Amino acid sequence: MKFDISYTIDALPRLLEGALVTLQVTLLGFVLSLTLATALTVMREVTHSRWAHGLLAVYISFIRGTPLLVQIFLIYYVSPVIGLDIGPYTAGILAITLNSAAFVVEILRGGLASVPIGQFEAARALGLKGPALWGRVILPHTFIASVPPLMTEFTQVLNASALMSPITIVELMRVSQQIFSRNYHPVEVLTGTFILYFLMCFAVSRSAALIEARLERRRA
Amino acid sequence: MAEKFLELIGLSTRFGKVTALDDVSLDVARGEVVCIIGPSGCGKSTLLRAANWLTPPDAGTVRLNGSVVGSAPERRVTGAHIRALNSNRAQIGMVFQQFNVWPHMTALENVTRAQVVVLRRDRAEAEAKARQTLADVGLSDKLDAWPDMLSGGQKQRLGIARALAMDPALMLLDEPTSALDPELVAEVLNVLKRLAAAQMTMLIVTHELGFAAQVADRIIFMEAGKIVEEGPPSQLLHSPRTERLKAFLDKLSLTALPREHAHDPV
Amino acid sequence: MSLDFSIFIDYGPRILLGFWLTIKIVVLAIALGLPLGALLALARRSRFRLLSWAALAFIELFRNTPFIIQVFLLYYVLPFYGLRLPAEQVGVLALAAFGSAYFAEVIRGGIDAVPAGQLDSARAIGMSDLQAMRHIVLPQSLAIILPPLTNQMLSLIKESAILSTITVQEMTMTAIRVQGETFRPFEAFIMIAALYWLLNEVVAIAMRALERRWTTRPAKGGA
Repeated sequence: MKFDISYTIDALPRLLEGALVTLQVTLLGFVLSLTLATALTVMREVTHSRWAHGLLAVYISFIRGTPLLVQIFLIYYVSPVIGLDIGPYTAGILAITLNSAAFVVEILRGGLASVPIGQFEAARALGLKGPALWGRVILPHTFIASVPPLMTEFTQVLNASALMSPITIVELMRVSQQIFSRNYHPVEVLTGTFILYFLMCFAVSRSAALIEARLERRRA
Repeated sequence: MAEKFLELIGLSTRFGKVTALDDVSLDVARGEVVCIIGPSGCGKSTLLRAANWLTPPDAGTVRLNGSVVGSAPERRVTGAHIRALNSNRAQIGMVFQQFNVWPHMTALENVTRAQVVVLRRDRAEAEAKARQTLADVGLSDKLDAWPDMLSGGQKQRLGIARALAMDPALMLLDEPTSALDPELVAEVLNVLKRLAAAQMTMLIVTHELGFAAQVADRIIFMEAGKIVEEGPPSQLLHSPRTERLKAFLDKLSLTALPREHAHDPV
Repeated sequence: MSLDFSIFIDYGPRILLGFWLTIKIVVLAIALGLPLGALLALARRSRFRLLSWAALAFIELFRNTPFIIQVFLLYYVLPFYGLRLPAEQVGVLALAAFGSAYFAEVIRGGIDAVPAGQLDSARAIGMSDLQAMRHIVLPQSLAIILPPLTNQMLSLIKESAILSTITVQEMTMTAIRVQGETFRPFEAFIMIAALYWLLNEVVAIAMRALERRWTTRPAKGGA
């Protein structure tokens, strides 16, 4: 058999549409994950309840110890059974959000730990407390310190979006499957898909490098 | 006439825009001790590292006892080349400023390992030799010690023992005492003096002028990648001919002034 | 919702069979991927630009794309060139290739962290590059390499679930079928989730023990 690039080119328009969905899913998932993780991080620092800390620990351990695909299936297959009528898109986003948030919480923990404690003491001495302290001093510093691993996590979410295909979300992976199941040229179509994923990830890591460089210069 | 044992011929090296070595040639006779002195950046370390082709020069040839160690520019590096180079390196012992002892092995193993791996000596023989050389440098009580338990002077003596166990024909020493606290310098210099007295051929880069005066048959003064002056210690250190050497020695004497003459801020 | 865990009695054996296949696949993938990763790391650091570039290309391609697309591509590409392998073997190869790219970066980081002087002294004493790596550099890089290496191995355990998409009868595939027959998705998936988690913990603990054995030494005395 010979590789026929015309099949790759023909598939391109539809693949690009799928890539767009992939990006939408990734952005939505990442933003939600950041939000949830931030809330959890604040809660973790502020509350002294052993119960809350224990629950958080169990959640993180579960997410990090089990495959994302299984987490996705759990939410997708179990929700109708417990009466939760949420459809595949919501189920997928929910799974990705919960998964990513567990990793982001750990990233933020590292970022928080790397900020010199003097910053917080100075802010407190100036009279800032509670939400103002968090919102204007602690969180901004934490995020800036966490940019490199957060950019890596963004790439992870991008790769994770491809796992939405088994639950019927029509993102890039599923589009490619639909195309080659009709034209019987999986190699050509998958090659195009592979290249698209690579370009997206590559674009993210290049931007990450630029952002990191910008931040370094601002610090200096 | 002394035969040329180590020949460094026309060595030139540039790092970017900086000329580290500028067509330098140097011969060392068998049993001769040559010390190289000069300001930092003059190319002395680069010269030493070219001698065993650790950092090959851009141009020039190095010969040990007639056979070529390396010749630049190199056209193609074959397996035979590499084997010959490693075989030559096994005859050249090198001692580093930062000691570079291997931290994941005991002192005894540091001295034994290369004999077994490079010279293919059988382990019992290698270990016996290791004990002998460690005794020669005064570390008999540290055979099972881990390097991070040793002082700087002990680490350097371990480095010397490791090189000596290979029965080298030539020793290259790159500022062997520069990284040592002053009180530890003497123990290393003593070992080196004994080595020199035992007719080991040595090429030493050093700042220790007193030491050089004692052991060197010849001292070489380098500056900006070139050999400026060379000769026996008495001549070089006490009646330097060139202005640059005079200036270099003057600067060193000034910094070596005893404290009583300086004004201490209170 | 009523939970009926009695399905484990009927379907337990099948799930354990899937578990066993998961373990076999991951072990094989690591056995293949680790040496390949080491070779890639050395290739990346090689003086020969072609070799270094080829290794870089391989590593970047595998690290910047989802595992599922790599699996699918390999699954369909092999028959394209006349090689018809069973899905399990394709799965192992895909997982090994994916793992090797990540292992390579971890190993390279470890090697780079060993001070240059160590390699200098090894070469100066007459060791070949291979001898220098084996006796001097790699042993020192172990302490730096082992923790992130462990993380990558654990990640391979989780990625293996994706092989269910090319019909490999590993644990996730088994759970999908079980829930298809019993209509009890929660029980089925929770059970395999627990088994994945268990495997994860066991490997993590084993690797930590290995770390301790290989990177600490008999008690230090005084200097």
